[in-house]
Amino acid sequence: MAEVDETMKRLQNQKGVQGIIIVNAEGIPIKSTLDNASTVQYAGNIHQLLMKARGIVRDIDPQNDLTFLRIRSKKNEVMIAPDKDYFLIVIQNPTE
Amino acid sequence: MCDYQKCKHWGGNQDYTSTRNKRKTHLCCDMAEVEDTLKRIQGYNGVIGSIVVNAEGIPIRTTLDNSTTVQYVGLLHQLTMKARSTIRDIDPQNDLTFLRIRSKKHEIMVAPDKEFLMIVIQSPTE
Repeated sequence: MAEVDETMKRLQNQKGVQGIIIVNAEGIPIKSTLDNASTVQYAGNIHQLLMKARGIVRDIDPQNDLTFLRIRSKKNEVMIAPDKDYFLIVIQNPTE
Repeated sequence: MCDYQKCKHWGGNQDYTSTRNKRKTHLCCDMAEVEDTLKRIQGYNGVIGSIVVNAEGIPIRTTLDNSTTVQYVGLLHQLTMKARSTIRDIDPQNDLTFLRIRSKKHEIMVAPDKEFLMIVIQSPTE
């Protein structure tokens, strides 16, 4: 757990990082640096998108699997790192 | 960059496109620029394929075979729509500008636009 906290602190200290959320396999956020409302909003929406992206990668090639997802928008960039049991969401402002 | 009236194509076919700042450029010059850009992208090390899709979801340029193109376009069009609505749900003033899907074997980059969608597939380890 200490290692997880240290990693989160390291990420949070990077320039431009606005928030970090760790979500479990069921789509429930278990750790977050954002307020509750934003966390729930991000976790829910992104969980669905992640499932869809993973499905598409597997449809194209069943031997392949999703390793990272980057969604860039006008205001910020959302990076999603999926894993077996969890997924990590980091929101950053890349222009900073 | 085509300068319309000063361009070598002036006096011939006057078909033009209006650019974002309302400047006119000849359609044939724009097409040449598009072809150059596509060639440049396809020439990069590791690029497996590139596809340009129009607003109706029909691929208008592709360097891949037909069935692969159709498969990628169908699936990625849906994903782009979902990513765009996810961004807008979180903040209605925001909009999707780029999407990068990295997998074990390669990376798919999607650049959406008002009228078109560009998909590039690359093998990032090369």
